[in-house]
Amino acid sequence: MAEQSDVLAEPTGRDFSIRSIINNAGIGLALLGLILFFSIFTEHFLNPNNITNILTQITINLILAVGMTFVILVGGIDLSVGSVMAFAAVVAGKAITLPGFGPTEVILLACIAAVTAGFVCGLLNGLITSYWALPSFIITLGMLNIARGAALHVSDAQTIYSFPFAFEEFGSAQIYGVPVVFLVALALVLLAWFVLNRTVFGRLLYGIGNNEEAVRLAGHPVFWYKVAAFTICGLTAGIAAVVYMARLNIASPIAGIGFELNAIAAVIIGGTSLSGGRGSVIGTLLGAFIIGVLANGLILIGLSDFMRQMITGVVIIIAVILDYYRARYAKK
Amino acid sequence: MKFMKFAAVAATSIALLAGSANADDKPVVGLIMKSLANEFFQNMLEGAKEHEIKRGDYELRAVGMQNETDFESQINAVENFITQGVDAIVIAPADSRAMVRPLKRAMEAGIVVVNFDVSLDADAKKQQGIDLAFVGPDNRGGAKLAGDALGELLGAGGKVVIIEGNPGADNANERRLGFEDSVKQFGLELLDSRTAHWETEEANTVFSNILTAHPDTQGVMVANDSMAIGVVKALESAGRKDIVVVGFDNIPAVGPMIKDGRMLATVDQFGQAMAANSIDLALGVIAGGPKLEGWVKTPIELVKGN
Repeated sequence: MAEQSDVLAEPTGRDFSIRSIINNAGIGLALLGLILFFSIFTEHFLNPNNITNILTQITINLILAVGMTFVILVGGIDLSVGSVMAFAAVVAGKAITLPGFGPTEVILLACIAAVTAGFVCGLLNGLITSYWALPSFIITLGMLNIARGAALHVSDAQTIYSFPFAFEEFGSAQIYGVPVVFLVALALVLLAWFVLNRTVFGRLLYGIGNNEEAVRLAGHPVFWYKVAAFTICGLTAGIAAVVYMARLNIASPIAGIGFELNAIAAVIIGGTSLSGGRGSVIGTLLGAFIIGVLANGLILIGLSDFMRQMITGVVIIIAVILDYYRARYAKK
Repeated sequence: MKFMKFAAVAATSIALLAGSANADDKPVVGLIMKSLANEFFQNMLEGAKEHEIKRGDYELRAVGMQNETDFESQINAVENFITQGVDAIVIAPADSRAMVRPLKRAMEAGIVVVNFDVSLDADAKKQQGIDLAFVGPDNRGGAKLAGDALGELLGAGGKVVIIEGNPGADNANERRLGFEDSVKQFGLELLDSRTAHWETEEANTVFSNILTAHPDTQGVMVANDSMAIGVVKALESAGRKDIVVVGFDNIPAVGPMIKDGRMLATVDQFGQAMAANSIDLALGVIAGGPKLEGWVKTPIELVKGN
């Protein structure tokens, strides 16, 4: 309990960052271990092209997981991000294939369309969950179906294709082997880190996750803070949709099935507590890397699909057990 | 209040009358499909609706599922159709074993059942003591057409990879077997075979990783076109123009890729016509035609660029 009032009393969070470094070090070590393992046992793992591949492959999950971190920190969950991403992609896909616009305008239009679609879905999730104080699990499960249905409806269940060339360029552009789309994701991580650790808003999100009532009694508009967390999550789903489209040059209404679970896994493996109030977006970054490195490395090693799925499951469970001990250690 | 009650009774009896009149009038065909989120079934539904208007001598009641493996909803749909007393059920089963028993009940209720798209399991049919024809494409033969196109190009010793559909799905299995037939016939070397669950993004990821492990890959056989798009994108970002891709389904989005040579070939199984053709067959039986037997093969065609 003492820890909770600390968080509220000390918005700069000096104490927190030391603990967060210790927490993240554990995940970082696990990641290093995996990298070491795959470097030794596979021929191509450290190949520059493969590193580029891994960075590309974790980008969408990382973007979704950044938004998910905000929601989980306030003690919520968002099951709708995969569907919202598909809906945003389809809306943007419709926009991008509109006749009568130049390539630059049309790309801008697509980005605005995708982000707006994500924003609206996230805002609705937040407003409904907070206004009636309902479990976000159920509300976002509803949104999962609404957004998926809307995506199928808008597109008539057809894949939308043939985007302008400039859009494809963005999806495959690299700077020194680092995919530009990954840099976008990284920028979002840094932005989220700044917001969560260096702004009053961010510190209060932690506070809400720890003790919502205390933050309310301190006179803060908890309602709007929670709405903001869900809206941020919806926004990231919109951004992920743009990356998805740029990378594959299609907008499919059945994209992103199950992506919400991967995003949640990245957040939890990254050490953010499912009950809220504890965790960091840097952990989420490492969590997304662990999932991506595992998926990549296990294929390189030649492990069968089914074994791969089992091992990914085992890693998630181990991460949560470690989180349990971390929480006990933190309380002492 | 009294008036309301009267109105309700009147409405019910009119509905009942209308229902029975309908039954005498036009035969009713219940169409049960898999996921309407899948372009393939969506197009099929459009085809069936057009067909209903064009023929005009039957009534179509169509239902689709939430997802590809939702056989519980399919069982409910079959039971609802039995209750409604439809004349024929035309079904693309979500599970080749689970659907056998409910369909047996439908047959016992005197309903003409036509099984299309995916064949019901032969052993399960034997166990339930029913004999039911299958109307549909030869997925294995179709996949072999695409695989052969690749095999002819690469010749013996060509190194290939297979990207599979959902493990456990019958059409995924058949297509994989068809690809493997080509591998055997042309003496190709199979480097890896993995699922990407029919999905573009996953195929992109999985194939990028396979390509890293096997940079000497020369050809890719992909079990559907959605995944083939992901594979083509992976090749583009790896800058590999030397690797040949074949797909399956001929969805509109791969049209440009076949045209400009980013894909060698795909297979068209004319899905749009498949439900309509099955309905024709069912109506033929209702009209007193002979019972369907064995495997009524529907056309498949290899689609190649120039």
